[in-house]
Amino acid sequence: MSLDLQQNYFELFGLPVSFEVDSAALHAAQQQLQSRFHPDRVAGGSDQEKRLAVQQAAWINEAYQTLADPVKRARYMLSLQGLDMNDEHETTGDTAFLMEQIELREEMEQCQSCQDPLRCCDHITGKLDQRSKEYAAEFQRLYAQGDHEAARQVIKKMQFIQRILEQIDEYQMQLEEDLL
Amino acid sequence: MALLQISEPGQSAAPHQRKHAAGIDLGTTNSLVAVNRSGVVDTLPDEQGRHLLPSVVWYGEDEILVGYDALEKQAEDPLNTISSVKRILGRGIEDIRSLSDVLPWRFDVSTDSSVPRIVTRRGKVTAVEVSAEILKALAKRAEDSLGEGLDGVVITVPAYFDDAQRQATRDAARLAGLNVYRLLNEPTAAAVAYGLDQKADGIIAIYDLGGGTFDISILHLNKGVFEVMATGGDSSLGGDDMDHAIAEWLVQEMGIEDMDPQLSRQIMIAARRAKEALTEADQAEVCIDYRGETACRSLTRERFNELIGDLVRKTLMACRRTLRDAKLDREAISDVILVGGSTRVPLVREQVGEFFGREPLCSLDPDRVVAIGAAQQADVLAGNKPDSEMLLLDVLPLSLAIETMGGLSEKIIPRNTPIPVARAQEFTTFKDGQTAMSIHVVQGERELVSDNRSLAHFELRGIPPMVAGAPRIRVTYQVDADGLLSVTAEELSSGVKSDITIKPSYGLTDSEIETMLRASMEHAKEDVDARMLAEQQVEARRVIEAVDSALAEDGRELLSEQEYDAIVAARDALEQKIDSATADELKAAIKQVEATSEEFVARRMNASVRKALAGKTVDQVDV
Ligand SMILES: Nc1ncnc2c1ncn2[C@@H]1O[C@H](COP(=O)(O)OP(=O)(O)OP(=O)(O)O)[C@@H](O)[C@H]1O
Ligand SMILES: [Mg+2]
Repeated sequence: MSLDLQQNYFELFGLPVSFEVDSAALHAAQQQLQSRFHPDRVAGGSDQEKRLAVQQAAWINEAYQTLADPVKRARYMLSLQGLDMNDEHETTGDTAFLMEQIELREEMEQCQSCQDPLRCCDHITGKLDQRSKEYAAEFQRLYAQGDHEAARQVIKKMQFIQRILEQIDEYQMQLEEDLL
Repeated sequence: MALLQISEPGQSAAPHQRKHAAGIDLGTTNSLVAVNRSGVVDTLPDEQGRHLLPSVVWYGEDEILVGYDALEKQAEDPLNTISSVKRILGRGIEDIRSLSDVLPWRFDVSTDSSVPRIVTRRGKVTAVEVSAEILKALAKRAEDSLGEGLDGVVITVPAYFDDAQRQATRDAARLAGLNVYRLLNEPTAAAVAYGLDQKADGIIAIYDLGGGTFDISILHLNKGVFEVMATGGDSSLGGDDMDHAIAEWLVQEMGIEDMDPQLSRQIMIAARRAKEALTEADQAEVCIDYRGETACRSLTRERFNELIGDLVRKTLMACRRTLRDAKLDREAISDVILVGGSTRVPLVREQVGEFFGREPLCSLDPDRVVAIGAAQQADVLAGNKPDSEMLLLDVLPLSLAIETMGGLSEKIIPRNTPIPVARAQEFTTFKDGQTAMSIHVVQGERELVSDNRSLAHFELRGIPPMVAGAPRIRVTYQVDADGLLSVTAEELSSGVKSDITIKPSYGLTDSEIETMLRASMEHAKEDVDARMLAEQQVEARRVIEAVDSALAEDGRELLSEQEYDAIVAARDALEQKIDSATADELKAAIKQVEATSEEFVARRMNASVRKALAGKTVDQVDV
């Protein structure tokens, strides 16, 4: 892409490099940038201008999507420190964490035979949300201390929880549809 | 590249001159065109005051009729009267098979093209060509009203249209000789019409049930910015299916076994009439001529509601999914807007209202609101409203994925990702010296490739020969603001760009379109050549204008003297050629200017991003 901005995504939106993001400010900055660089602004322009505008707007969108999502944001912050996650081969070695995950999955499966499966799911979701918050705080602390390797381990856990949450969400949706 | 229709070839519009823009709602059942006339944006009627143009084309011995005139031929000449063609636009032979009882025409399935042909007395036609006839009729209506040629149009498509359907729509516009500013999603167009009408901020849901498609979109409106949060639907579900349910009921009631195309058409027409009558009445008669007699059955609203119950439930299911994708509760929706003729059906209104827990808005005519929104955006895109803050931010309706081992589909860009978007992926080779590879791109949410919609096979060639696993081929998938995909590839270690050939699964190739274009023009070659040349001349003037203003603004600041002179030289060479060169020569000269100024453009963009972020205008920075 010819658009090689020197600045990182945080700078792009005029935000400090921090895990804590003011989502309203992020959203507003995103719209302000799109207002200027969206391809619709050069609808009557030359093909080259249009092509570049598409790349431009795609880049702004990518930056926004990255910072708007906690896991992507954390990963991106690590990459700013030169540390990339290599997903394929990485699992967490934290046994306590793994045990807890297995339990959660079992609990999820048992939901099917619950009296009120939807509430059962809500219960698990509640626990997971709580965990997410704790991990986010932990990531922030480790990142601030410069312990990037440990921060990376926490991201794996965050990812794991995000995935289960998505599964529960999908499962709940299915349940609701079946109930209709 | 779009073919430009310009009133006088070789004349570009003066910068301050108003451009002639139109919004076109190309519907399954009905189509409309709207324009801005002295500040009022509205749909245009025909001489008889009818705003709707039935999306029907009749192929006669020596003429082609479109709209009401074609509709009149439907009962007597069903095989040459093509309606609801949008249902097969961008679709393949297999889709046609599954729709064949809805579509009464004869198809030619023997061609080696991936695009089905309908057999008419004037030869075989594709859905793209039929759609082009409808577009031409609408464009003519707009031009007659404006008294001049159109500079550009915005054409609406169902939000849930996939890449192949969008591409087919663009191809139809190209055949019709229209310059398309943008393909706009129908619900977004409706939101624009309402948003500008009511100046409302908040989160709105747009439920659009037309003749052949269903869309649900959730948008966030904020100071002129229309941001789509999520979209969903079904691109083959609509009023046609209600007609079909009634037809099936009738066939059963009457015990009809000897079905033929004429009878089937007749039944469908009677079914539709009964359905529309049931919007007002509690009971309707469905009558047909059968075996030389008039046979009637009476259908109650209650029975009709049962017949369409599943259909309506299916749409509400999609609403739930879409709310979920937007991560919203129903309570967050501040307004529900109904669009499309089928939202007149009482059961639909009732159930949608119940689902969202509020009375839906339908203050604007549900038939016209989409075309009006499209025309409003066309006006902005044409540059007629320099002060407008309006901006439409849309999303990808269906996930893009590639085929991996074992026929599995691997998502590259998930649905509801804001567009434009670009994602890159790295591949390597399996064999020593391998110089080519193929990527199969599909669209849809399912696990198996075979359950999704095949878009195209991209064949990459020109990978530098290396040992297996050494090349790093970066493939970039880009979706533009129209929701259209393009793919580029580059070998990273050598920097060699791969040559890509696209084999669309359900689309016309460039050469097929060119052949149609030539066939559709009276004086074949000369006319097409003249059009190509005019198109390049317009582009050349745009490029020169853009270069001049950029150089004047910050050329001295951002370029070395040498770089500056190189751009000016390329620009002058282009200008000299404008009135004398052929289309191909001009194209090459344009490319030359673009190549020379590429770095300059990039630097300007970077500089302007910094300025935008600093929240300062150019003058403030200079101070
Ligand atoms: N009064 C009515 N009662 C019930 N249905 C109606 C009524 N008027 C129109 N319809 C139905 O609305 C449908 C046409 O709606 P519309 O014109 O919005 O569709 P379209 O824009 O052509 O299709 P699409 O948007 O799906 O491409 C037809 O199925 C028609 O029978
Ligand atoms: Mg419509």
